[in-house]
Amino acid sequence: MSISFLQFLLGVIFLTVVFLHLTKKNLLATIAYGIQSFAIMLILLNSFLETKIFYLLIIVLLVLIIKVILAPLFFVNFIKKHSLSFSVSTYFNTPLTLIIIAILTFIAYSQKFTPLTNIIPANQPLLSIALSFIFLSLFLIINCKGALSQILGILSLENSIVAFIVFAGLEQSPSLQIGVIFNIFIWIIIATTFMSMLYKHFESQDVTSMKNLKD
Amino acid sequence: MELLFIITTFVISTFIILLIKHRGTIEFFSIFASAIAFFGSIIIALKVSSSGIYSPFAFFSVDSLGAIIMLIIGLIEFATTIYSIQYLRQETAKNIIGFTRVKQYFILLNLFLLAMFLAITSSSPIFAWISIELTTLSTAFLISFYNKPSAMEAAWKYLIINSVGLLLGFFGTLLYFTSVSLWSKGELISWQLLLTNATHLDPLIAKIAFIFILIGYGTKIGLAPMHTWKPDAYSKAPAPIGALLSGTLFPVAFAIMLKFKILTDATVGASFSQHLLIAFGILSIAIASLIIFNAKNYKRLLAYSSIENAGIVALGFGFGGLGVFAAILHMIYHSCVKAILFFSSGNLLLKYNSAKICNIKGALNIISTTSIFFISGFLIITGTPPFGIFLTKMQILSVGIQTHPIITIIAIFFMTIVFIGFLKHITAMFFGESSTDIKVGEGNIWLIFPPAIFLIIIICLSFYIPPFLYTLINDAALHY
Repeated sequence: MSISFLQFLLGVIFLTVVFLHLTKKNLLATIAYGIQSFAIMLILLNSFLETKIFYLLIIVLLVLIIKVILAPLFFVNFIKKHSLSFSVSTYFNTPLTLIIIAILTFIAYSQKFTPLTNIIPANQPLLSIALSFIFLSLFLIINCKGALSQILGILSLENSIVAFIVFAGLEQSPSLQIGVIFNIFIWIIIATTFMSMLYKHFESQDVTSMKNLKD
Repeated sequence: MELLFIITTFVISTFIILLIKHRGTIEFFSIFASAIAFFGSIIIALKVSSSGIYSPFAFFSVDSLGAIIMLIIGLIEFATTIYSIQYLRQETAKNIIGFTRVKQYFILLNLFLLAMFLAITSSSPIFAWISIELTTLSTAFLISFYNKPSAMEAAWKYLIINSVGLLLGFFGTLLYFTSVSLWSKGELISWQLLLTNATHLDPLIAKIAFIFILIGYGTKIGLAPMHTWKPDAYSKAPAPIGALLSGTLFPVAFAIMLKFKILTDATVGASFSQHLLIAFGILSIAIASLIIFNAKNYKRLLAYSSIENAGIVALGFGFGGLGVFAAILHMIYHSCVKAILFFSSGNLLLKYNSAKICNIKGALNIISTTSIFFISGFLIITGTPPFGIFLTKMQILSVGIQTHPIITIIAIFFMTIVFIGFLKHITAMFFGESSTDIKVGEGNIWLIFPPAIFLIIIICLSFYIPPFLYTLINDAALHY
């Protein structure tokens, strides 16, 4: 795949995370996450085709099965089962959210983070997008009041770290490959189990409705 | 060999517990596995003390600090398993939990212990990270153990905060991997390989990576401002699990963070990581002390005390020199005293059915032995002489007063607030008129025995440190 196609994929990923910040519908958020995971899978596939490392193919297949198919399917079923069409609001309003997104993107491109984006100088523009993707995913977790949105934020953060690993040329390390595989498995298990348990108790996915922990 | 034995025993006992339906057998296998782990830890600690790093396979490596932490885990998990059996029996008698919950408890407990042993013994930073993630998995279900809305809320908070923290820790870890040349990326990257290549790491990357590590593992340690999950998780988890979270998970996460500190120090010098540890340390002490004063729940009180002590240990490592020796010793004392305090809090909970401080009055007359343990725990944890924590605090502060006088004075001020705040709650809970509707007397000897053992251990360790332990602490202090 050419560098411009990879840049396009990262652009798609970046837009999906911005969309996750702005969308008010859970179903659309889930679809955006599915597209994001699919783009990550294509980036990993490209890396496999270049390096021919077998473990990378396993990661590609796992991402496809778990992140592109199973997780979005679970979320869609969950949304339909509990009629959760609309997501819970965010702490910041839309204009403020957009301003913070712009600031975070600017920070990722700033001189302060040049050592990180310059790990492979040829990939600097890609690493800068990947870093801004990490920051925006973190902000998504902080900004969202909905349990589903928080989970999508964490899964998005996972995706962003995987993107960074690939463009930093670290995907060839078996240790990191094992780490990524483990993360994909565990988080989906925990997140889906807990989300169901949480809904059972609170009949809401609004985390601000949880007020049982006051002294 | 010993390590493999510990790990295999935990795996086998978990499967057996999963399959059997007899409570006594479940309890037996839990005790058996924890006893094996306890004795195995002692043997490994003795081996490390006499012959240095213990590495039976390439996958495992235990240094002096690892051996100390293994010893702490071994001791506390053994006592916790003994305590848990009786604690859960009492809860079953009160119809709080049933057999399925008991079975679930011991499966998760074994997984939690296994993950901690793997984290501290792994020779690879990624496997250490995976193991720490596994502790999150098992403890999240232990925190939501009672299946109440408040417990679910605490578990959710724990899960979200720790997962984000650990993902940032993972990001920090991968940044250290940039020091390793391309040809060696194909092999399993160990702590040793990273240390050998530390000089090749870009200093700015090393600094950014350590900040991510400190935020990531600092979340698990409970350093402020990443501490917010701790009071909720400690107060909602079963009391014995509180002892493990505070007494063992905190040192394990701290030790892994220290391994990254060595890598960072080798690249950019010690002052960068030391300044960060001091900043997080003093913030933790300050925040904990201010909240302790107004605490309304005695299990949350213990959580805030853990945050304060995490801060003290961070200060010790931040000040460096003799402070490091004192910080390691402080970690040992803290783990033991937290076992006393959490076991005693469990006894109080069983007696009063409430974790609220305002509902406990005149406990010294009702449940006197437990009260004595809790009061002793308070005196030890707040650094009252002649207990060991007094000496470790003094040692850390005496190093600090020479290098960072203002920080040290601020720390002394907040530690005094902790003492006053704690004393206020202790006076309210244990002295004065007791309620007449609560039956006088302790629950069971097996609820008294574990905290008693730890009290004896702390008193002994306050005056005498066994030569093998002294060698380990000394070696770890030199290394870290």
